[in-house]
Amino acid sequence: MKTKIWHLTLVFVVAVLVLSACTPAATATPTAAPKPTDAPKATEAPKPVEVPTEAPKPTEVPAEAPKPTEAPAPASDIDCTGVKAGDKVTVMYQWSGGEEEKINAIFKPFVDACGVQIVAESSRDAAVLDTKAKSTPPDVLFWPTTAPLNLYAAQLKDLSTLGASTENFADYWVSMGSKDGKWMAIPVKADIKSIIWYSPAQFEAFGYTVPTTLEELDALVEKMAADGNVPWSMGMESAAATGWTGSDFVQDLLLAQQGPEYVNGLISGKVAYSDAGVLEAYKLYSKWASDAKYTVGGAQGTVSTGFLDAIYKVFQEKPEAMMVKQSGFAGGEVTKKFPNLQYGVDFDFFAFPGIKGLQGGADYMMAFSESPATKALVTYITSAKGAEVWATSGFDLCPNKLSTGKYTDAQLIKKAEALYNAAGFTPDLGDTIPAPFGEAEWKAVIVAAQAGDIQAALDVAAKAQAEALK
Amino acid sequence: MTLSIMKQGRWTPFLYLLPALVIMFIFIIYPMANTFVLSFMDKTGTQSAAVDCMPGEPCWGVLENYRYALTSSDMLTALRNNASWLLLMVPGTVLAGLFFAVLADRVRYEALAKSIIFMPMAISFIGAGIIWRFVFALESGGGQQIGILNAIIVGLGGQPVAWLSTPAINNYALMVVGVWLWSGFCMTILSAAIKAVPTEILEAARVDGANEWDVFIQIMLPMIMPTIVVVTTTMVINVLKIFDIVYVMTGGNFGTEVIANRMFNLIVTDTGRSMAIAIILVLLTVPIMIFNMVRFRQQEAMR
Amino acid sequence: MKPFSSINRVLSRLPENLAIIFMCVVWIIPTLGLLVTSFRTSEAVRTSGWWTALSPKQAASSAEYTTYCASCHGSDGKGVASVDLSNPAVLDKYPRTNRLLAMLRQPVNGEAHVKNPPLPEKAADALAIMTPIQEHLQTLGSGSQESVWSGLTLRNYADAVVGYKGTQDYLTDCEQKNPSALAKFKCDLTDVFNPEGMGSALINTLFVAIPSTFFPILIAAFAAYAFSWMDFKGRQWLFALLVGLQIIPLQMTLVPIARMYASLGMQGTFVGIWLFHTGFGLPYAIYLMRNFLGSLPREIFESAYLDGANHFSAFTRLALPLSIPAIGSLAIFQFLWIWNDFLIAKIFLSNNPVLTVQITNLIDPRGGNWHIMTGAAFLSFIVPMTVFFLFQKSFVRGLLAGSVKG
Repeated sequence: MKTKIWHLTLVFVVAVLVLSACTPAATATPTAAPKPTDAPKATEAPKPVEVPTEAPKPTEVPAEAPKPTEAPAPASDIDCTGVKAGDKVTVMYQWSGGEEEKINAIFKPFVDACGVQIVAESSRDAAVLDTKAKSTPPDVLFWPTTAPLNLYAAQLKDLSTLGASTENFADYWVSMGSKDGKWMAIPVKADIKSIIWYSPAQFEAFGYTVPTTLEELDALVEKMAADGNVPWSMGMESAAATGWTGSDFVQDLLLAQQGPEYVNGLISGKVAYSDAGVLEAYKLYSKWASDAKYTVGGAQGTVSTGFLDAIYKVFQEKPEAMMVKQSGFAGGEVTKKFPNLQYGVDFDFFAFPGIKGLQGGADYMMAFSESPATKALVTYITSAKGAEVWATSGFDLCPNKLSTGKYTDAQLIKKAEALYNAAGFTPDLGDTIPAPFGEAEWKAVIVAAQAGDIQAALDVAAKAQAEALK
Repeated sequence: MTLSIMKQGRWTPFLYLLPALVIMFIFIIYPMANTFVLSFMDKTGTQSAAVDCMPGEPCWGVLENYRYALTSSDMLTALRNNASWLLLMVPGTVLAGLFFAVLADRVRYEALAKSIIFMPMAISFIGAGIIWRFVFALESGGGQQIGILNAIIVGLGGQPVAWLSTPAINNYALMVVGVWLWSGFCMTILSAAIKAVPTEILEAARVDGANEWDVFIQIMLPMIMPTIVVVTTTMVINVLKIFDIVYVMTGGNFGTEVIANRMFNLIVTDTGRSMAIAIILVLLTVPIMIFNMVRFRQQEAMR
Repeated sequence: MKPFSSINRVLSRLPENLAIIFMCVVWIIPTLGLLVTSFRTSEAVRTSGWWTALSPKQAASSAEYTTYCASCHGSDGKGVASVDLSNPAVLDKYPRTNRLLAMLRQPVNGEAHVKNPPLPEKAADALAIMTPIQEHLQTLGSGSQESVWSGLTLRNYADAVVGYKGTQDYLTDCEQKNPSALAKFKCDLTDVFNPEGMGSALINTLFVAIPSTFFPILIAAFAAYAFSWMDFKGRQWLFALLVGLQIIPLQMTLVPIARMYASLGMQGTFVGIWLFHTGFGLPYAIYLMRNFLGSLPREIFESAYLDGANHFSAFTRLALPLSIPAIGSLAIFQFLWIWNDFLIAKIFLSNNPVLTVQITNLIDPRGGNWHIMTGAAFLSFIVPMTVFFLFQKSFVRGLLAGSVKG
């Protein structure tokens, strides 16, 4: 309260001063553009063009939604209890471009049924989220990590009070989204990471077969190298985030060599990151990532080739490598880049050989508000109808159990199968561990890719791990 | 030493200054005070920084964040890099800007030439990131080089270079981007100063038989010296807080870390450390402040 | 005039002209790269340097086709009646050479498809032959030589202007009357002002940038005058503080200011962003202006005061007009910083996206469609360059000289 008055006073003083200071000047320089006294008016009704205040979705007409007073007639399977037409829900997410179109399509049935206006903002910047969360938090937040759980635990609402049911989600999802007994994050969109993309046609031409164990993978890699083919495309450049692709790779190796228990131990701090098992995985990764015999361009190629380019290199006209280990999104990127390639023939994926548990990432939904419209949105997204809309929208996997069997896309069906049949599940380490540890982990990956002193880099990461998980 | 002949009410100066002071107080000094307090707090800004100490590690108690900011290996790299940025980029931009401002003043296509040097300033740093991607790009597989530098090197029969990930080179590569971006700034300000040098004085010297170099050194340079100091000071400050170029091109990887990038990376996850780094950054400007104060006095005494 | 004097003048000025031109070339090459790139397709950008964009493509070699295929299919590809190789639809079935090889390894009528000479056993060798064959088949299909310009496109610009976020591109979607595009676009000129495109963002940016340039300069001019020609306690200290304030990283101020705005309801208003830019522009603006005003000759002001001017008239009639070069360069840079600002606009004005924010809204999170940004970057570049040209005029020689005499 005190600070508010303080702020008010300050701004009042400034306003008075600006106006008084400007008045004589305005007479002296009559050409001056906007007169200072006009300024406040101009902002009350800024609209220099008709820029709708919500994330523009021209197809909807939310503001003039039908029948303003009576509760909007609920479409049979969308619950709009307590919502008045024209209510606003502010949402924030990282999706932009084509992905934003998809999420808008998923919101649409809800917006149509309840007459709610969704005011969306897209930002990938953690600093932007942080500023917003500390000043004007969005009602609903979609974020690709559970980091907000640690940062804004006091502000986030328990989602079971907002119409979501834990029964519809696997236990590991619920525990990942909970802290101190409060269920604050629901995975809405999942992607599997423990897969390797390849071209079946290319494999056929050379007579290679898909490996099923780590030993077979190792043998296949050696065979390809002996044939004069480059097995991997391991480029991982991603500006400030360089390292995450390699981090995923190492985690898959750990899942194959040690298993999910071990990886979860790394996340919780039970297993030190400098452990011998981690070193073993890093050594194999380093062997492949730093040698031009095994990956495109050797160490230099790994650290300076963009991760998207690394995908293209396997599927372009003259392929430079046989395989690329990348999350499920790679399929979409291949289609976007090379629309004439056919899924299942020109590109396909197989599970990381010998893996004892699946690595996956998810975008989570969190709520900063308990307003009726927020509740209705959370209810809709987690409902059977929402799960179906999500599954058919082609916007990756829907972790909600109610989406089972609703997929229409061949790639998604295969991915969903892998997700539901996984023996164990570990979240992407990089998305889960606190940032300073994550940063040290990426640095270790870069060191390994450049065939540097791995043990020393792991020791640094282990120190950051201990510090972050204290 | 101001004009003694001029009458002036006691409060008149503050009438002129007040709008500026009030706005700067709200938008800069008040947040900075907030930063100062947070720099002694922990990650989340709720308790004393001492709680972040690790058993068996050195600990500076409530100054723990400053221990990180001054002694951690990441920050030492950043401080070292910022020092070399200062040593190379400040003279680089000021000299390139001065050189061009003086030369362009003497040709007919001045406006066009200056626009070209100025152009990088008009491009947002995201755009600049893309532009330099096509200069430094490295194709280490079998494809064509799409980066012009490596294409030239390969065309001459050399081996392509990983400009951004080779620690001995990458800092200099980034500084080249910096000089490219900021020389236009120096040139524009210096050019304004050169235009303010009265033509009569220059012509008089030429009539007296001075050659162009003498005219520049003995007449032009002293007259624009105050502006050179302004430009240099501004560039020192800009280089101290250099961030965009590093963030877009390497993200501080491969030994290219700088202070401001470290600060930005920690701002959400470890507020205390981030704020301590910000305070260090401010403290680094104290010598520049003192220098400017001294000059302020000299200038007043001279006129 | 001696006949050689003009040549002599040119020659004596040659070194400086060469130096200027050399520096200009070095400076412009990176930007030129982006300009050319903005007219290229993303696949072309990925696989070849921008400087190759205008060089003609090398004709595909027909040797392999002649060796392996021409005996049956004929040199024009029409030798086998049931399979017309010059029909692009046939070729489309084999998007990659490995598919072509797989088909050729299938027997035809119980015999090897390619017998005389047979294809090499080793896959790598066989695939190496497939590439020129495929390239040759493509020329059979298209018939004519591809034009040099065919690699260039305006689609990056079109997508950026209208704010296209779909999977192909705006012009193609409109040609095909794609329903998802028609839901969002009218496919006529009004799309230029689509709220998700660059047109509306341009207007928002102007509405942010113009006041945010004007206010700080005006306020700074008053303050700088006080620092230069008035006497008051603590002048030097305050001035030194101003120098130091320039270093304050604006990221530090985001949370406190955002909280203040939220409690005042100023979040997302234009006034909020004007004030923020004013606050951050002031230290440098005052610093630069004070150095300029302070270096003006004392006599000018003394004579004005003797003529009976007071501070205010000295400020408006003398100081302001004389500092036009300084104001000009200051205005250019203040305008540019605001024009290119991303973070402040993103946080304080997300509901009315400016150009920099709009561009990132267009790009996919993983950057798969970043080529749109090349066009967008050039569009957002036009206004600042125009501003620079306009303000160039304020750098006029002799302004000061005249006033000393007068």
